[in-house]
Amino acid sequence: MSVLQEAPVTEPTTDLVAVQDLYKYFPIHAGLLSRHIGDVRAVDGVDFSIAAGETLGLVGESGSGKTTVGRLLLRLLPATSGAAYFEGQNILKMTRAQVRRLRKDIQIIFQDPYASLNPRMTVGDIIAEPLHIHKLARGKDVDAKVHDLLRTVGLSAYHANRYPHEFSGGQRQRIGVARALAVSPKFIVADEPVSALDVSIQAQVVNLLQDLQDQFGLTYLFIAHDLSVVRHISDRVAVMYVGKLMELADREELYRQPLHPYTQSLLSAIPIPDPRVEGRRERIILQGDIPSPVNPPSGCRFHTRCPIAFERCITEVPEFKSYDGHYVACHAVEQLGGKQPEIRPTTKARTVPVA
Amino acid sequence: MALLEVKNLKTTFATEDGLVTAVNGLSYAIDAGTTLGIVGESGSGKSVTALSIMRLIQRPGRIESGEIFFDGQNLLTKSESEMRHIRGNDIAMIFQDPMTSLNPVLTVGEQISEAIQLHLGYNRRDALEKTIDMLKLVHIPSPDKRVKDYPHQFSGGMRQRVMIAMSLSCEPKVLIADEPTTALDVTIQAQILELMNEMQSRTGAAIILITHDLGVVAEVCENVLVMYGGNMVEYGTAQQIFDQPKMPYTQGLLSSLPRLDAEGHERLVPIKGQPPNLLRLPPGCAFAPRCAYRMPICDDPVPLYDFRDGHVARCFLYDERSASQRPIAVETAPRVSLSDVAATPQAMAEKQP
Ligand SMILES: Nc1ncnc2c1ncn2[C@@H]1O[C@H](COP(=O)(O)OP(=O)(O)O)[C@@H](O)[C@H]1O
Ligand SMILES: Nc1ncnc2c1ncn2[C@@H]1O[C@H](COP(=O)(O)OP(=O)(O)O)[C@@H](O)[C@H]1O
Ligand code: SF4
Ligand SMILES: [Mg+2]
Ligand SMILES: [Mg+2]
Repeated sequence: MSVLQEAPVTEPTTDLVAVQDLYKYFPIHAGLLSRHIGDVRAVDGVDFSIAAGETLGLVGESGSGKTTVGRLLLRLLPATSGAAYFEGQNILKMTRAQVRRLRKDIQIIFQDPYASLNPRMTVGDIIAEPLHIHKLARGKDVDAKVHDLLRTVGLSAYHANRYPHEFSGGQRQRIGVARALAVSPKFIVADEPVSALDVSIQAQVVNLLQDLQDQFGLTYLFIAHDLSVVRHISDRVAVMYVGKLMELADREELYRQPLHPYTQSLLSAIPIPDPRVEGRRERIILQGDIPSPVNPPSGCRFHTRCPIAFERCITEVPEFKSYDGHYVACHAVEQLGGKQPEIRPTTKARTVPVA
Repeated sequence: MALLEVKNLKTTFATEDGLVTAVNGLSYAIDAGTTLGIVGESGSGKSVTALSIMRLIQRPGRIESGEIFFDGQNLLTKSESEMRHIRGNDIAMIFQDPMTSLNPVLTVGEQISEAIQLHLGYNRRDALEKTIDMLKLVHIPSPDKRVKDYPHQFSGGMRQRVMIAMSLSCEPKVLIADEPTTALDVTIQAQILELMNEMQSRTGAAIILITHDLGVVAEVCENVLVMYGGNMVEYGTAQQIFDQPKMPYTQGLLSSLPRLDAEGHERLVPIKGQPPNLLRLPPGCAFAPRCAYRMPICDDPVPLYDFRDGHVARCFLYDERSASQRPIAVETAPRVSLSDVAATPQAMAEKQP
């Protein structure tokens, strides 16, 4: 908390978003007196930045803290410490009035399009709501703007009078996108926007997000657990594990030359929809479960599952270090001067003979 | 003879809005020791198919017609007590959410050993011993201690492994796994798939793997059945389906996927439109409203066309009459070219069961 006091209010930066040493602990209370007995260390010291017009992909398994990062950037949650700058202004130190203005520039799209839409409001009212809140349109202009937005996301003007339950999952996600776009934001946090959708519909929404980015010059933080989708849409990708970033690099670089053993395992675990490719692939199968953020492992928090962990990994937290702009937090990578540590595959991917 | 054969299965649900035809005349077969992947978007009837085989369809659902042969016997004519014996003993099922099939108030050990006593006739001591062996087999650490734990004391991945241990403890001949890894993270998914693979090579069980993840299918399945609107629209070996998809829906599914090993940033090709409404399935091809190749003939009921070596697809593009028909309302042609279609030898041999 002291760190929050010390972080400057403004920061000269060329990036649209810059996150520095960000922490979010959720306290755990127990007993009649609600004693503080520990913390969920959801975000445990995270640094990254996003340039204007860029898409940063944030991947990691469930519970790694991705959603919490997104919510901190919108000030939907107070941070424990650290700094998060938007256009040079520290989001975490903004006054209420400033936060209200911030929500015109930063918007969020949620995973579950149904839960995030009020079932008792028409689609038109849902999309118009932010226009009223931010006083962006009045009277007839509202309808015109709503119809415009509906068409922008591939729906039709007549959809404005319908209710969310009358739409399929993919269409609801389009409604969520239209509402986010209503205020002409600069930056959108997309939290698993396609995870709940069928693959054939997923592609529609991914394409829509890409088109809107081109059209309006949007900047995205694209949160997902599906590395194939993230690879498709991102310029750079950050990999999170139990509250910390393990690796951050350009998309091509990360997928061609993953350095962190966790990223390597994660990529090798994803099956590729082609039996011919799968037949040739070898796989690193990680043992054990993802550790709890209440009591994360000492040293490198991946050490309990890392196939190449050594003494130092248990005692010392590895620094999140740049090797020509490719950031990695791993002792083995450091000892190799930024080269990829070799991990022996556990298994051949497929036992079925392939013609 | 196939180990399990589904013939003309039709299962419906009488809902407030009308009669939902969840499975509409489905036929397929699976041999011992093989893995069949069933893919298709949500609502296409995958789970209802599985529950029909298990005879677990509950009101307002009803199996209207068809036959399901297991080891030569029609399951649809069995009594409930005969079915109870078959479930667990011969055919076992794993669900997406293991909590739905684990009893929260019994320890994991009690549940598995009870099943073993019931189905294999073991006494209590031997059943407990076998339970511990099974938990060891699915890589649960210190299984002799964990048998005394309740389901909620396990993580999601561990619960799914417990579920697998339980369903395999009686060495079923058929294992139906309905989205067993959908709720799990990829590193845990890799563990579970590996485990199912191990089990199959040990026991020679037939596995029906229901999933929407085509990557998982490519990884573990020999054969693939693609469902759309309650029926099979294509069936073949994994190689046939991935290399030479015939039905436009299958082609669309494959081209809409972002791939980890793709070359560049090329645009995805989505399937237009929305999934079908099962209350109002069109009389002809259920995919017709979304299909770029749609022809007037597509409004007739579509038979299966045979491409040899077991590869079949339900699509009029492979009917000789299609040559004289012009596609209607093609807005944007999908990336998949028609050359593949044109090059197909006239595959006329009707295989409508
Ligand atoms: N409001 C909250 N109170 C307590 N714990 C929370 C809260 N929100 C999230 N967490 C915990 O923080 C961790 C990270 O959660 P989340 O950011 O949702 O992860 P992800 O989005 O990567 O799945 C999880 O262990 C989660 O249970
Ligand atoms: N209990 C039920 N009551 C009413 N309709 C149902 C019920 N269960 C399934 N259905 C219908 O059957 C269709 C197929 O469902 P399901 O087999 O679960 O699809 P899938 O597993 O492919 O996602 C659904 O679209 C739904 O309309
Ligand atoms: S061509 Fe006709 S039969 Fe084939 S998928 Fe399209 S609509 Fe269906
Ligand atoms: Mg999340
Ligand atoms: Mg299902």
